[in-house]
Amino acid sequence: MGKTIIPFGPQHPVLPEPLQLKLVMRDEKVIEAVPAIGYVHRGLEKLAEQKDFMKNIYLVERVCGICSNMHALSYCMAIEEIMGIGIPDRARFLRVIWAELHRIHSHLLWLGLLADSFGFESLFMQVWRSREKIMDIMEATAGHRIFISTNTIGGTHKDLTKEQQKDVLNTVALVWDDMKAVEKVFFNDYTVQHRLKGVGVLPKDVAYELGTVGPMARASGIIFDHRTRGYAAYGELEFEPVVETDGDSLARTKVRLREVYQSINLIREAIGKLPEGEIFTPFKGNPNGEAVIRIEQPRGEVMYYVRANGTKQLDRLRLRTPTFANLPSLLHMLPGSSLADVPVLILTIDPCISCTER
Amino acid sequence: MLSNEKIISTETILNEVHQIKDDGYRFVSMTTVENPDLTIDLYYHFDREYQLVNLKLTINKEFELPSISKIFLAAVFVENEIQELFGVRFDGKAINYGGHFILSDADLENPMCRNQIVIEQMEDK
Repeated sequence: MGKTIIPFGPQHPVLPEPLQLKLVMRDEKVIEAVPAIGYVHRGLEKLAEQKDFMKNIYLVERVCGICSNMHALSYCMAIEEIMGIGIPDRARFLRVIWAELHRIHSHLLWLGLLADSFGFESLFMQVWRSREKIMDIMEATAGHRIFISTNTIGGTHKDLTKEQQKDVLNTVALVWDDMKAVEKVFFNDYTVQHRLKGVGVLPKDVAYELGTVGPMARASGIIFDHRTRGYAAYGELEFEPVVETDGDSLARTKVRLREVYQSINLIREAIGKLPEGEIFTPFKGNPNGEAVIRIEQPRGEVMYYVRANGTKQLDRLRLRTPTFANLPSLLHMLPGSSLADVPVLILTIDPCISCTER
Repeated sequence: MLSNEKIISTETILNEVHQIKDDGYRFVSMTTVENPDLTIDLYYHFDREYQLVNLKLTINKEFELPSISKIFLAAVFVENEIQELFGVRFDGKAINYGGHFILSDADLENPMCRNQIVIEQMEDK
């Protein structure tokens, strides 16, 4: 039988965002796949050159609906590096707490979507029910479910009262219990194993060469987590990067699920060590210079390049998101897979297309 | 100036990138900045054990650079993006989207550049 070309997306039940793949098929096997984007490009990098550098904090939060807090964190860190602003200790710990809450809600979103992609609706509902608890605590502590806007240049906008700290700890304890219940299904259930084990194997050397980042890289055995460099308050907290070695879809699931526990532990430790004091360092003037900042988002390494010229407007803001770095892995994983596995493979890179296109 | 920045020339770029790969670096990204004199600063970012190396080139917009996507396949998407948004052309890309990676036919050419809109000259005006 000859080749057939199937356009997969941009509208597809499994895709939360528009991504197109041109799948060259022979029978049920994919023999070639080329991803195409361009459906949600908003020109945010260009817009950032027109706005005041302080207002860009709110702009970069809108790059992504899932890791908005981390985008603001990277941008603030870049400007702080250029201007030489040191931030108070309490703000460093607060940044970690909200960043890890964001990581939990991102990973829970992904685990639910993955369950949905292979038709396990009840598992999808279970995971998203837990995610709601995180969304509620973000709203209770910061006033918004997603765009929490806690970071600013020089520290944080918001503080956590003793009462709120207790609420956060109670909530993450509930999520811990929920995850213990669904963990058995993700790790041991026959259906889940059948759909994930050995699917889309990405060997360590290929993952490194293709520049994969985050849970994708760690599931292939690469120990690569920017938090170990100790930015914000991570240097004062105890943790080890979660690494698996199988490199298949099940390994990527395990990494993300275990990172939920890791984030909960980090939140507990950060709240336990939260120092008293100011949350914001006042500063004057405009940035002048350039800097590159890389931090660990839920999906992996994000890179911010900022060039400023001493005025309120930046010369350039460039950001490379983790999904952009993980897209080339699809070129390796999809050829040779069956059509039924394509949705799972696309989801295992945790695609965020609005991030990628900006 | 960035830390770990190395200024390279268009002639040596492929040798430099080959050397970087042999030294065990992974590709991170490329960054383009348009200068006030309308030249382009192009950075290649590579990482090894959290150390970022930045190779910097300054070129004219019309200049055609050799693609590094045959050395680092990971660079193929960002090269297509830069070609569309900034007009820097790359020769020999592993995948050539033909100007439709991000933009459609109806979009402006090189929309990230400063001088992007050309008003049509009317007769006698």
